Amino acid sequence: MKIRVALAGNPNVGKSVVFNNLTGGHQHIGNWPGKTIDKAEGTLNYKGNEIYIIDLPGTYSLTAYSVEELIARDYIIQEKPDVVVNIVDASNLERNLYLTLQLSELGANIIIALNKMDLAKKENAKIEVKKLEKILGIPIIPMVAPRKEGMKELTDAIIKYAENPVKREIRYDEKIEKYIDEVRRIIEGKIEGLNPRWAAIKILENDEEIKKKIGKDLLSRCEEVRENMKNEVGDPEVALADARYELIKEICKDVLIKEKKVTASDIIDSVLLDKYLGIPIFISILWMIFQFGFMISAPFCDFLGDGFAQVSSALSGITGIRWLDYLLFGDYGVLNGLGMVLSFVPLIILLYFALSLVEDFGYMARAAFLMDRIMRKLGLSGRAIIPMILGLGCNVPAIYATRTIPDEKDRLVAIVTNPLMLCGARLVFFSAIVGAFWGEMGGDVLLSLYLLGVVLTFIVAIILRKTVFKGKASPFILELPPYQMPVPRVCLRKAWERGKLFFTKAGKVILPGILILGILLITSTSFAYTENAEESIAAVIGKALLPLVKPLGWDWRLLVAALFGIVAKEIVLGASALLYGVSEENIAATMASMYTPLQMYSYLVFILIYVPCIVTIGAIKQEAGTKWAVFTVIYEILLAYLVAWLVLGIGHLMGVA
Amino acid sequence: MKKLEIGTKESIYIFILSLLYLVYGVLQFYNGLVGWMPYLGENLQIGVPVLGTYIPFAFPSIFSGLALFTVGALLLKGVYMRHQGDEKYCGYVFVGWAMAMLLMALNILVIIADILDTYYPLVWGETIEEGWSLAGDAWGIAPHLILGLLLTPFYTRMKDILRELSPMKYRISLSKKEVREWK
Repeated sequence: MKIRVALAGNPNVGKSVVFNNLTGGHQHIGNWPGKTIDKAEGTLNYKGNEIYIIDLPGTYSLTAYSVEELIARDYIIQEKPDVVVNIVDASNLERNLYLTLQLSELGANIIIALNKMDLAKKENAKIEVKKLEKILGIPIIPMVAPRKEGMKELTDAIIKYAENPVKREIRYDEKIEKYIDEVRRIIEGKIEGLNPRWAAIKILENDEEIKKKIGKDLLSRCEEVRENMKNEVGDPEVALADARYELIKEICKDVLIKEKKVTASDIIDSVLLDKYLGIPIFISILWMIFQFGFMISAPFCDFLGDGFAQVSSALSGITGIRWLDYLLFGDYGVLNGLGMVLSFVPLIILLYFALSLVEDFGYMARAAFLMDRIMRKLGLSGRAIIPMILGLGCNVPAIYATRTIPDEKDRLVAIVTNPLMLCGARLVFFSAIVGAFWGEMGGDVLLSLYLLGVVLTFIVAIILRKTVFKGKASPFILELPPYQMPVPRVCLRKAWERGKLFFTKAGKVILPGILILGILLITSTSFAYTENAEESIAAVIGKALLPLVKPLGWDWRLLVAALFGIVAKEIVLGASALLYGVSEENIAATMASMYTPLQMYSYLVFILIYVPCIVTIGAIKQEAGTKWAVFTVIYEILLAYLVAWLVLGIGHLMGVA
Repeated sequence: MKKLEIGTKESIYIFILSLLYLVYGVLQFYNGLVGWMPYLGENLQIGVPVLGTYIPFAFPSIFSGLALFTVGALLLKGVYMRHQGDEKYCGYVFVGWAMAMLLMALNILVIIADILDTYYPLVWGETIEEGWSLAGDAWGIAPHLILGLLLTPFYTRMKDILRELSPMKYRISLSKKEVREWK
């Protein structure tokens, strides 16, 4: 039997864990809301059944106010899955049942997976599962997804209820029900593919998406009913929400016994979200993460870098063709450039390991909360925080994550400013340079670049919000999950996944990029082989464009490295190695002999800000359109130039060494 | 959650350590500034001279200074709140202590990484011209390590909170064998 299952639930209830348990997938899981932005798909073969599973984005309700809610509800309405597994957080039953009621209104064949039973017990909450099952008329499977407990029962229940669907209508107060019935009678049989009761509720809630689906005549009759309801019970949308909450309150009174006590999470939150100490703690934690990644990975990065140099020298001369040998294994060779980029895999893994530890502990949501305070004061939406934090890893998923921002203006601001966040790709180049230029202060320099990225994001966002995207920022609801000790094994796996991605990117993007640069470096303008980089095509291009960056004090090599960085930011490092003809351990020393720390800092600032990589530009185009992709590229080049020039000028004035 | 009990003598001890964190925080911050802008003054140390360096060694770092200062501020606020009879003091003491432990662990890891970085070329058959020394270490024995060690005995007091944070065992119905079969 083929069964189609949709996983639905509030953000951070463990949908991704359940999905991974069922499908054996490796969807990124984090202890903070908003992880699943799009639909993730997978299959499970169990007892001769082929179960197709889709993980819908986490939503608190099924209105049409945000993209994720629309994705979730459209899937259930249009695709009509055989079973909807509603994952409910047992430690937060009241809030989670709101979505359950809405799913029930939709007429879906629901099974409740009552997850986080361990957490509920820890919080001294006792849920009478059988009683809840009876009241709701929905089968309930208690579970602890991270330990795979309850998964077998859930899979069995999916098969059982796919064959014998259970659909039960949940009714609200009679005052409300009479209007729902009235609208239902008007539209029944006249709207195809929609559950009439649900459509009636949505029309009363003034849902534009549903209203579009009915004719003008019907709509005016429904509006009449809506008006009557408004006169009797007030705003129908508010009245319906109240009715749901009232029902939830009644249900919980019967099935939930909860002892209110102060938890460890409560006392830690009172400190980490402290009005004055919250931000210094946040910066200190960030500093520890970067020191951990930067300092601890150093011997491993150096070891790998040396390894590539050894391999390069061992292979030198193996092809017997001088130009090919020079291109592949020479000082300006591809292996040298690629090796230098790959030698930073330990840094990437360690850094993401540390970030995963902090994320799984539950601190990222707090960081978002802390930053939201500042952002709201600046007139920005706190919802942009999650994409910003994701941008520290890679701007591409971060830009897709902006789909969770319901307000279009807020979303566009978040998209065009996201590339200012220092991503993992730029980190590779920065890490190689800061150690040689600033020694033990390298970690500080690195963090200063991260903070500069954040500050610039705010500044650009404020300017855009006051000019191009005038209007009020939308409110932000963020759930703070309880703190929990992270599992190092799980964090290591996440970090390893990130490392693997880096390897893949090295093969698909970085290697071809470096190869092209290598060819340009060994080819003269008369298309003859040359070992003199100054005569190469790359040098000619660089020198021709050099007047443009004269105020920044670069040579043509830095310019060409930056140009190639547009393909992928990691290439800046490999390209530098090729252009200066030195190995990993000497690149920074070579640069240090040519540039002052201030000049180099100004260059790093330029690389931080200028043009997003090609994949990011593609993501912006997809999410916001060509106009905004072009806008982002242009404003970032101008901003990078301006800030790099200012850093140089102000640094000179301040006498920075 | 069980209450975090700290006696008067212990709170005096934490108070002294919080002041040391604050002092070293300011010192590192200052050394970090001087590192960027040498005209501001010279690098300052208030440790004991040992093997060509100082113990503790306040290496120049603005952000490290901020981290130490934050730990000091947390502990100080915790002690002050306890003195005022505010029950919330245990949160401040716990977070300050936890951050101090993380900074101590980081210092130890940095020293190990520095030693590895010095000697890994032996794997490639190269010779080491200059071996690892405390004076040449990026961090050396920093205040993070010394002050962290002085706070380590409070682990016994923090155990309850740590236990509450660790994932709890809660079986529903499946045995390990059943889970294996299901998988």
